Amino acid sequence: MLEIKNLHATVGGKEILKGINLTIKAGEIHAIMGPNGAGKSTLSYVLAGRDGYEVTSGEVLYKGEDLLALSPDERASKGIFLAFQYPVEIPGVASATFLKTAYNAQRKYRGEPEVDAMEFLKLIREKTKELDIKDDMLKRAVNVGFSGGEKKRNEVLQMSLLEPDLMLLDETDSGLDIDALKIAADGVNRLRSPERAGLIITHYQRLLDYIVPDFVHVLADGKIVKSGDKSLAHELEEKGYAALSAA
Amino acid sequence: MKNLTPLAQTYVDRFSAASGSLPGHNSPAVAALRKSGLARFASLDFPGRKVEEWRFTNLTALTKGIKTTDAPANAALPAAEFETPHVMTFVNGRFSEQDSRLDRLPDGVKLTSLAAELDVGNSALLGTEADDKRAVVALNTAFMEDGVVLNAAPGVTLDAPILIRFVSVAGTGANAHHMRNVIHLGEKATVTLVEEHAGVDGHAYFANPVTDITLDKGARLNHYKYQAESADAFHLANTDTELAEGAVYENFALSTGARLSRNELETRILGGGAESILNGAYLMRGTQHCDTTTITRHLVPENVSRQIYKGILDDEAQGVFQGKIQIVPDAQQVSGDQLSRALLLSDRASVAVKPELEIHADDVKCSHGASSGELDEDALFYLQSRGIEEKTARKMLIDAFLADVLEEVSNDDVREYFAAVTARWMDKV
Repeated sequence: MLEIKNLHATVGGKEILKGINLTIKAGEIHAIMGPNGAGKSTLSYVLAGRDGYEVTSGEVLYKGEDLLALSPDERASKGIFLAFQYPVEIPGVASATFLKTAYNAQRKYRGEPEVDAMEFLKLIREKTKELDIKDDMLKRAVNVGFSGGEKKRNEVLQMSLLEPDLMLLDETDSGLDIDALKIAADGVNRLRSPERAGLIITHYQRLLDYIVPDFVHVLADGKIVKSGDKSLAHELEEKGYAALSAA
Repeated sequence: MKNLTPLAQTYVDRFSAASGSLPGHNSPAVAALRKSGLARFASLDFPGRKVEEWRFTNLTALTKGIKTTDAPANAALPAAEFETPHVMTFVNGRFSEQDSRLDRLPDGVKLTSLAAELDVGNSALLGTEADDKRAVVALNTAFMEDGVVLNAAPGVTLDAPILIRFVSVAGTGANAHHMRNVIHLGEKATVTLVEEHAGVDGHAYFANPVTDITLDKGARLNHYKYQAESADAFHLANTDTELAEGAVYENFALSTGARLSRNELETRILGGGAESILNGAYLMRGTQHCDTTTITRHLVPENVSRQIYKGILDDEAQGVFQGKIQIVPDAQQVSGDQLSRALLLSDRASVAVKPELEIHADDVKCSHGASSGELDEDALFYLQSRGIEEKTARKMLIDAFLADVLEEVSNDDVREYFAAVTARWMDKV
């Protein structure tokens, strides 16, 4: 699904990613853990195609295609979804309009028929119910006035709606209480399938109790310094990143 | 005598010859009015940039003389898009009966043309303006050709808006239009007016409309203006409004046209419970320049003014917003709010903002806010990351920027019309 080969990237002229190698196969969930400043969010933005994140060498193949040549919206329409660490507030754009526009834009890109307002409403109501989100949120402007938890749940709602092939979760656990965390994790787990893959970026092991990964990697100073199975997450939780970096 | 700008000199030179054929030339009172207008204009000239009120708007391109028009003569009039039973059209500064429809107006609403009023010597409907320091108003008084004279009797409520169209097409002597409108609403009368200024593409001209509005006790005027002059036109408009007790003046100016435009509104609040609501949106591209200047005078206690102006500036377009709120001594319990925001779609676009609060009473509530910025890159990426193409994402954000000011248009049909106009403008972003 995703092959990252010797990826180097700079932000504002400063090298943040210093040779990442990572392969994610369909059906797998990988977790990337690491201390602040290791480059976790940079990796997610590079994969999603954000301006200002410059790839200086290496390559990324997504379903065998050069991912880095695609615009952010093309990546999304081809099935990549980034759940933001800090979801953006967009005053004046109603959530329902935003979701419907995104949903239909992706369908159009893939040559599928667009859905009408009624059909969409039915679909989105199912999703909000699953995620215990109040319908009135759809009338409010995107993320405006949402609590931290509501914003994160809104990310998971978008993901459930858009049903991506590759889920990228950037610190989705931060700002969530335990109940909200479970609901969010359920949303992700519901999407897990042999055809889909996921990359979960997190600072804490907590989320991984609910979304159990197949592989865990430790990112430090722009490189993956250690990889293992889910037990690595527990080890990190006990010993901390410092011990591991020293090892 | 000091040297006048070339265009001002032309007007002074032409006056004697022209005034013999202007409306009301047989009336000594009208002739005297024109003469005093010309004298004031000649002493003022077009304002240069040393005049504080004109610091951000340079009229040199106008005052050195308007270029010959490129537009073909007798091109078809741009069609009216707003539908309403009452339409009054002026073509090249003159009332055009064949393009108007005034037979459905109810009793109590009298709509005539200024030319007709002047021809019968009715100069009384124009007040005295000896102290007026505005050169273009003086010029208008000297050369006024025609315009709307609207009188609504007390208590009348007009069912549908009146559309007033000022259309400029190429042709002989068509390069300047000094329209003069006089609007009076009697006690508790309610009228909605949609003013539209349009010109055919490539036509270069100078539009200089002056509008005097008097609202008696409890009257309400919803006054909407769509300025869509040709891209080679100059548009300098002045609207003076007086509000009596409990009167409400709602003004919304949507501007997309003209090479250089200035919309100047002066509101004098003379009664308690009166409300002045001035809003607008300007959408400019290329090298267009759009100036909005408002002066709100709270002259008695207990009344309200509010203003929201939003501008979208692309390419090398320039915006200006100058907003003055004056509260005289003893005008207590007044509230005045003003907000100006500009969205710059290009790093060569610019906006100049000058809010001015002149407050001489202590029990008042006043605010002003001004901001300008680019499209939010974070929001743009967020939308794109969900599969929305950049072009669509930009449009969504621009739309969102304008949404709240368009909401201020209280007439549903006009709001929809303006939303359609802005959507069309955005299609070209």
